[in-house]
Order: sequence, then C-alpha cells, then structure tokens
Amino acid sequence: MREVYIIGIGITTFTRLEYPLSEIAAYASMGALKDAGLTDVDYLVVANMGSARINSQSALASAVADTLSLTPAGAVRVENGPASGASAIKEGFMAVASGMHDTVLVAGAERMREVNSLEATDFVATLTHPMAEYIYGVTLPGHAAMFTRLYMEKYGVTERHLAMVGVKNQNNAMLNKDAHLHQPISLEGILDSPEAMTNNPWVAEPIRFFDCCPVSDGGAALILASKEVAEASGRPMIRISGIGQATDTLAVHEREEPTDLMAVRRAAEQAYAMAGIKPKDIDVAELHDAFTILEIVESEEVGFFEKGKGHIALEKGETEIGGKMPINPSGGLKGKGHPVGATGVAQVHEIVMQLRGDAGERQVKGAKNGLACNFGGFGNNVIVSTYTREG
Amino acid sequence: MEREIFGYKCQKCGTLHYPFRMVCKNCRANGYFEFDTVPLPHAGKLLTFTFIHNLPAEFEVARLGLGIVELENGLRVTGQIQIDDPKLGMDVVGAIEVVKRDAYDNRYGFVFRAA
Ligand SMILES: [Zn+2]
Repeated sequence: MREVYIIGIGITTFTRLEYPLSEIAAYASMGALKDAGLTDVDYLVVANMGSARINSQSALASAVADTLSLTPAGAVRVENGPASGASAIKEGFMAVASGMHDTVLVAGAERMREVNSLEATDFVATLTHPMAEYIYGVTLPGHAAMFTRLYMEKYGVTERHLAMVGVKNQNNAMLNKDAHLHQPISLEGILDSPEAMTNNPWVAEPIRFFDCCPVSDGGAALILASKEVAEASGRPMIRISGIGQATDTLAVHEREEPTDLMAVRRAAEQAYAMAGIKPKDIDVAELHDAFTILEIVESEEVGFFEKGKGHIALEKGETEIGGKMPINPSGGLKGKGHPVGATGVAQVHEIVMQLRGDAGERQVKGAKNGLACNFGGFGNNVIVSTYTREG
Repeated sequence: MEREIFGYKCQKCGTLHYPFRMVCKNCRANGYFEFDTVPLPHAGKLLTFTFIHNLPAEFEVARLGLGIVELENGLRVTGQIQIDDPKLGMDVVGAIEVVKRDAYDNRYGFVFRAA
C-alpha cells in the first residue's frame, strides 16, 4: 500500500444553512482545494446519509462534481448511516493507497434542518432494525437511553457524569467559530438549580436535552494525496496512519454483552495495529458523542481508559483540552453539531487542525498523533482512524 | 386472528435467533430457509427500558415506554412497555398488540406489562 496524506481541509459553519445541500458540500470542498493549492482532483467521494429522503436529491456526488467544475473526474456518494463520513475517508484512502488515484476530494455534507426535528429523528431512526426495533418507535435517543441505564447500573455512571461531558464539550465549542452551539452551560444550569429540570427536560429517560447533540446542517472536506503530491504541495505532512472498521448486529438486543460496543473495540484494535501505535501514543481524539454516554464508553473501548473507568477519568479532568487525554476539543458532536454525513469528515478536519498546530485557543500542545471514532448505527458500523504528523 | 412472533431455529445446529436472519449466526452452515419457526414465549425479565418523550410523528402519545426483555428461553426482544414504575430485572409478560399505525397498515409487536 502507498502512504496517504491529508494536504487540504475545509469546513462550513455548522448551523442552519439556507443554501442547497450540494453547495454545502461544495463550499467546504472549495476551502479544502484552496488549502491544498489544487484546482482539480482525480476522484471525489461524497458522504451523505439523507439527501434522497430529506432533500429530494439522489446521486449527490454528481451534483457536487459538477458545481465544483471538477467534471470529468469520477465521483461517488457513500451512504453508511452516521459513519458515512469516515467511510468516505476510507474509500478515498484505498483509492490513493492502491495507486489508482493520486488526489481525492472527500466531502461530507448533510442538510437536516430542511425538515422539522421529529422528521429528522425519524429519518435517523430508519437505520434501526425495521421489524424488531423501528416499528416499536425505537429512536437513536431511545437506544442511547436504554444503554445509559445499563451503564449506570453496572459501572456507577450518574446523570452528573453525563452532564459533565456536555458541559466540557459545549464549552470547548465556545473556542470553535464553526461550531453550532455557542452557548456556555454549567452543571448548575442544567442539573443543580431549581430551573434545571425545565432547562434540561427528558428526551428519553434517563437522558436529557443537554445529553443530545443538536440537529445541524453543515459540510466538511479533505484532500487526500499520495506522498509525491503531498511533498510537492508544501503543506504539513499529516499521514493517515491507521484505519479500522467493524460491524455488529443490527438489532441491539442481540448483542451478547449489552454494555459492550464491540465494533468500536475491534475497529480501534485494527487501526492501532495498522499504525503500529498504542492508545497511550494518542495525543488528541475526536469521539462520536451524539449522546454524552457515548463519549464515556468510546473512551474506554478505544483503549484510553479501562472498561467502566471512563467516567472517573472525566471526573478528574483528564479529557479536557489541558488534560492527559484531551477528547473533543472541537466541541464534539454535542457542541460543534452533527450534520450526519459530514460528521466523520469534520472529526478529521479537527484532528488535522490539531496536528498542524492551527487550532488556536483550543490547541492541544504538541499533538503528534490523533484519533477519530465515527460511530454508525447504534454501534453496528464503526470506523476508527489514526493520524500522524511527520517532520 | 391470533398473532404470534416467531424465533428462528437453525436446522443445522439448533441455535435460536430473533429477529430473522438468512444465515445462522452460530454455524453459518444452514441452507436457504433452513430454519424452523418457533413461537416465542411471552414471559421474561426486563433488562433495560426508557420512556421516549420526543417521538416520531406517527406515535400519538406524549411518552412511549420501550424495553429490552430476556424471554424465558433466553432470547432477547425489544418491545413497548406499559408499566408505571419499571425496575431492572422485574418479571414481565408480553402480548401481541398494535404497536404502530401508519398510512398502510397496523404493525403488530410485543407490548410488555408487569407479570
Ligand atoms: Zn446454525
């Protein structure tokens, strides 16, 4: 396999965007092309989950290639649920690593605010098992809630731990101009004060409003390149050092141990093996905190902390920007937002910013190795990838 | 009409599955439709639960109870719950009822209540 580098990054603000989905993808892509100093690429991979259903547009990649005037370059859309973004990166990686292409634009975009929040929740819920889950009204918050209850019972995670994740990430998002939420929150406001339960109502017991990511529009893009192209670009050399992917049962109730997220664990093991590094070598991570419990559990399953001890590390401040294992300096899905198809790409956008030393006030000092976990389904399709700064 | 929900027993190794899958998760050796359908027991224990407050549009209630139940034969299922004060591990019993009405059909599934 050839080595693959990221030489350009671009992103839109994550919020409600009043322009078409293809332009959301294209806006982020223009930023990435400019950053890389390129005006064309060999191939485009566009990540998106819902265009055909919520935006009445299929074959999105063709529209993106055209609006960027990148035709006749080949283009393909990747739909892989909430893991679409990292799946597109993996496709781009394989295209360059194989020697088939030298430059690949990987863009992720979603425009979810075109429908109301109930429709958006229902759209995401279509990834559950059609007969054994979806018909009952199971939603992603519902899965997260049933999982959270088990984790609380088994490992002593409390509502306060969940709220601590939300406070940390939403406060990190204050340092990120592209983040969706620029609203500082405190444990007092969402948990302890007399108004807290009004501010922070149930979504699916035992998880509350501030345990859930917002519904966002947004796009993010990367330029992947061969070593030769990367060296010629003069851009910082950020190498994709490892990628792992694993699936799990579609119906969550079929998992042998209901508090394990085996696909996260397996994907991480593969990524570390490919990169030849260990969890302790990672300096900064972006984890898929669509719900606050997920940041805690993923921090264990990717090997940063012992199983059942993630909430203890959180309590000690180890996952803050200045801590031993900084997690979600961008604000995560919780603070930055979660335009589903863009998320996996946006996570890596942040890792590249961090490894380049360009993250400003939220910079993790001296970061050399980064990790991203893009969590699809309720843990039934997960990609973990690692990135290394060279030189 | 009496409605039932079935488990699927592999004709090669006897492993029971729910929901339906084409290939046995245990032996991966069964041929096309080499499963016996077995009615699922209705009694079990509540493994976990939630009450959802923001529902997809087709559910006309303010708060929907959902749970995962381990049935007497060890198989687990997801279903709706109608229990005022659920407790982890409590005994429940399920009935097959309408769980969703959409534009096309009534969808039937498990609704669990305290045993
Ligand atoms: Zn079998």
